[in-house]
Amino acid sequence: MGATRRGTPRNRAARSALAHLAAGALALTAAACGSDDAKKEAPSPDLIRHTVRLPRLNGQKIKVTAVWTGTEQKNFTEVLDEFSKRTGAEVAFVPSGDDMSSFVGSKITGGDPPDVAMLPQPGVLREFAGKGWLKPLNAEAAAELRKNFGKGWQDLGSHKGTPYGVYFKVTNKSLVWYNTKIFDAAGVKEPRTWAELLNAAQVVADYGVPAVSVGGADGWTLTDWFENVYLSQAGPEKYDQLTTHKIKWTDPSVTDALTALGRLFGRKELLAGGNKGALQTAFPAAVGQTFAKGEDSKAAMVYAPDIAAAAIDGTNARIGTDAKVFPFPAVGGEPPVVTGGDVGVALKDNAAAQALLTFLASPDAARIWAARGGFLSANKNLDAAAYPDDTRRRIAKALVAAGDGFRFDMSDQAPAAFGGKPGQGEWKDLQDFLRNPGDVAGIQQRLEADAAKAFKN
Amino acid sequence: MSTVSTRATRKGVVRTRPLVAAAFLLPALALLGALVVYPIGYSVHRSFFDASGNGFVGFDNYHEVFSDERIRTALKNNVVWVVVAPGLATALGLVFAVLTERVRWGTAFKLVVFMPMAISMLAAGIIFRLVYEQDPDRGVANAVWVGVHDTFAASAPYPGAHPRPDGGLAADPDGAFTTTSALRAGSPAPVPLVAVKPRYAKGERDAQPPRAEPGKVTGTVWLDFTRGGGGTPGRVDPGEKALSGVKVEAVRDGRTVASATTGADGTFTLPAAADGARLRLPAANFAERYRGAEWLGPTLVTPSIIGAYIWMWAGFAMVLIAAGLAGVPRELLEAARVDGANEWQVFRRVTVPLLAPVLGVVVITLVINVLKIFDLVYIIAPGSSLPDANVLALQLYQSSFGTAVNQGLGSAIAVLLLVLVLPVVIVNIRRIRKEGRR
Amino acid sequence: MTALDATPRVTAVRGRRPWPARLAARLGGGAVRLVLVAVGLFWLMPTVGLLLSSLRDRSDIASSGWWQVFAHPGQLTGASYDTLFHNDKVMHSLLTTTLITVPATVLVILVGAFAGYAFAWLEFPGRDWWFMGVVGLLVVPVQVALIPVAKLFNALGIFESTPGVVLFHTAFGLPFAIFLLRNFFAEIPRELLEAARLDGAGELRMFLRVVLPLGGPAIASLGIFQFLWVWNDMLVGLIFADSGNPPITVALQQQVRQFGDNVDILASGAFLSMVVPLAVFFAFQRQFVSGVMAGAVK
Repeated sequence: MGATRRGTPRNRAARSALAHLAAGALALTAAACGSDDAKKEAPSPDLIRHTVRLPRLNGQKIKVTAVWTGTEQKNFTEVLDEFSKRTGAEVAFVPSGDDMSSFVGSKITGGDPPDVAMLPQPGVLREFAGKGWLKPLNAEAAAELRKNFGKGWQDLGSHKGTPYGVYFKVTNKSLVWYNTKIFDAAGVKEPRTWAELLNAAQVVADYGVPAVSVGGADGWTLTDWFENVYLSQAGPEKYDQLTTHKIKWTDPSVTDALTALGRLFGRKELLAGGNKGALQTAFPAAVGQTFAKGEDSKAAMVYAPDIAAAAIDGTNARIGTDAKVFPFPAVGGEPPVVTGGDVGVALKDNAAAQALLTFLASPDAARIWAARGGFLSANKNLDAAAYPDDTRRRIAKALVAAGDGFRFDMSDQAPAAFGGKPGQGEWKDLQDFLRNPGDVAGIQQRLEADAAKAFKN
Repeated sequence: MSTVSTRATRKGVVRTRPLVAAAFLLPALALLGALVVYPIGYSVHRSFFDASGNGFVGFDNYHEVFSDERIRTALKNNVVWVVVAPGLATALGLVFAVLTERVRWGTAFKLVVFMPMAISMLAAGIIFRLVYEQDPDRGVANAVWVGVHDTFAASAPYPGAHPRPDGGLAADPDGAFTTTSALRAGSPAPVPLVAVKPRYAKGERDAQPPRAEPGKVTGTVWLDFTRGGGGTPGRVDPGEKALSGVKVEAVRDGRTVASATTGADGTFTLPAAADGARLRLPAANFAERYRGAEWLGPTLVTPSIIGAYIWMWAGFAMVLIAAGLAGVPRELLEAARVDGANEWQVFRRVTVPLLAPVLGVVVITLVINVLKIFDLVYIIAPGSSLPDANVLALQLYQSSFGTAVNQGLGSAIAVLLLVLVLPVVIVNIRRIRKEGRR
Repeated sequence: MTALDATPRVTAVRGRRPWPARLAARLGGGAVRLVLVAVGLFWLMPTVGLLLSSLRDRSDIASSGWWQVFAHPGQLTGASYDTLFHNDKVMHSLLTTTLITVPATVLVILVGAFAGYAFAWLEFPGRDWWFMGVVGLLVVPVQVALIPVAKLFNALGIFESTPGVVLFHTAFGLPFAIFLLRNFFAEIPRELLEAARLDGAGELRMFLRVVLPLGGPAIASLGIFQFLWVWNDMLVGLIFADSGNPPITVALQQQVRQFGDNVDILASGAFLSMVVPLAVFFAFQRQFVSGVMAGAVK
């Protein structure tokens, strides 16, 4: 994927502009997602012209698995319902729990996996494909994918040149959410650079509230922290090399990134609960404690992808007034834009599974969830009108325009043993780093050892 | 041998053709053979092959079981479980059984303690996730723990407050702060602090700059923070808040020569004796609010989950032991009491020896149960301490399925689990035979 | 007997301080009661915590502990249960759990009773060795069977299905069932069986008319035990059950996630999943206890 995803200057500018735009807009996006307004504004799917032809599949039953629960599950089920309506197939949604690989693995051992899985990490896609567990997209699905997605997304869903996956849902992973009351009381503004962030954090801490809430109990929040810092500081080329383990984790660029990160993690008065407390805080709690008690909350800001909106909704804080968001500050030249996404793959060879993937690759499917909020699509043929307001329309357009200028979450692309499993690999090593931020060299060696084992090189 | 053989000599009443006996046994033996016995053979066989199942690797998988760091943690934890959990549950069960024996509402108590046995490990796991929640405002374990802790520690006026790194005060190892330069009478000492929680600074008056007083040592302790980080560090800027009630001490050669408490405007006055000493702000001013124990942190996670397990299973031990107790001849106990033995002696010298066989059964049952522990660990341990809480059954699940799957390794762990319960099988069969002999 | 070992030691303390011991016992009585009340409350607390959490709002759970309801009773709300009852998936999973538990309990009783009868009263070569073999299987951990049985069920076409889960639970319930029932059946007075024999009853008739009815108490214990065991299982369901239609434990496990805070659904769901086993437990405690005591070495 190196060649196609190298950042050109144009892309970089677009990225930087987008970062600010996206962050500002997302606060609104998220704000609207809890309300019913979005639904009313969205055109009913019935009135929309079908852009994709699907076969009749009366009487066929398929299972789809994803990690989604709660609102996400509800919205995705609506997408599946539309598919059922058009094809006559019965679709059952199966939440996999967080440990999707174990779940799918056990079902494959028994020879009856779900027909379609929405894998949360492309690294898992590659591993499953390597084991022969995935069925390639058929001609219709592949055609629909090529028609609607940029080359970067197609490549991310492929293994050794064979297309397997459709990136149905995309997340912005370069956002910092903050408690407006505390920022206001301490008199700090949204920082745009790492230095400004550290300075703001210091002022907030001096004011008397721990500045940053870190959900260190979940390793992925820490890999996201690192990736944002690294992408911004070392640049996209290095980022791609480290992603594929072409450069080692002992590389000086990693040293720099960890040192920069250590300037925040190394000062326990800046972290909610200190380093130990941060390691004990799971992601939802990290978001919750930043907003749960208004100005008496336990932290002033929290790094979190756009999905944090759900956790904030769980508190009394209102997104847009009590909780706002700014783009991850620039550590080097440009602010980073790291994305994640869920990729749909077929685990069984049947017409219904392929038809569903075809549908998920079409603008018709994306439109349904887009209208309900909490969703971004990289589908370039999705009419921006599908999003319920202008801000979201602009993010979507920019996402498609910047196309290959984004970088995909690094740990998600690594083999799961390194980048995607609780308690091991990068997740564990960065937790050790959070425990002891002074030991940059030691952590790098452990990261390199684990990476070498997982990448088998 | 003899139990069963005594029964064997008891002629079957029904003189049957072997075919009829086979018909009665067939469903059971078929199910057991296919789903219990065959898997054992399969696992033993599979454990000698690699991840793909094609390459014979001999004992390599077993070697990995004992060399892989994660699996070794699992082994070590299983040992901890087996040593601690059954013994503790049995001991508690014994105590409860004996105590409830002569209390009229003992049955109600037994019901309460026994009840958790009826619920799933999953539900118990969710229950204890709530109990062990770190935040003392939400988790009951820490709420109690912090409550107890705070009863014995006076609350600090300004928890977490500290000077700026370059603020002229150095941190002592015990959490106190001492000025780097000596106090001088007539030359006021500014003592700037930051990071006072807003809640604590709210009611404070504006700070007064320290006034010089001849022959006395004076100074001001205040919150050196202006909104937005403005103002001059180390100077009392307008609007900066006084910190009242802070204890200050003048220390010379490690001895406290004078002490004072700041007033409402943050100022303090020390006698001339303080001249030349250093100013110390004792740690008691700043002690952070105690956050409680990290129940699910790397060090405590296994003991915490064992706690949840004991909550579930102490009732089992209690009920079995209580039943055993009911079978203890009253006369023996009474005789001992009449002979003047006190309750402890009766318990120690009569009850416990009489109960020994029951205690044995309880411990053995719990040991087997504990070796297979899975759900409770899987649900309670948070991701960050899952490796520290790892146990064999969990490792087996993760090695058998999941991405870095190696079913050869998974099978080797399965065989290891089986080998660990084997001695118990032997003890069990012996026990059954012995019981039959009586 | 161990009782004999104990007696001589008792005589050693004969005649020492009769009345101070009595006084101590009297005083100790009050302390014992106090301790028992405290321990009882302590034991109840986690469950009460779950119940009260399930009766609070998401945002309340996020900001404070369940004991706050004692100060603010207004926080109590049935909202979580309302959501739960309108969640078809969860409600359906209760049905699935029932459809797994009932057949697995009935089957284990039937198959176990057949075998238990054969081991107790029929003659066949190697009977005792077979029985000991079955007793040996009592302690085999289910984890050993996960991979091979998954492959076996795959070949039989019953992986990801309720019948598969039922068979698995039946098989792993059998050693205990056979052990328990065989021992109970063996105590049936020989005369009863002989009388039936004289009436010309065949094996099957004797089993159905004499042995089964007399085995009532043991069968009840076994039934309760197996019922609770199967109802509460998660691991077997996680791997073998139809994932589109899982039992309640699995449905709840799938909701335990890092990204979303589902504590409201989890608390109410966990409590709902406990209602049936607790009801069974309270209704049949005697049978449950005797099942436990029959040497529940699972």
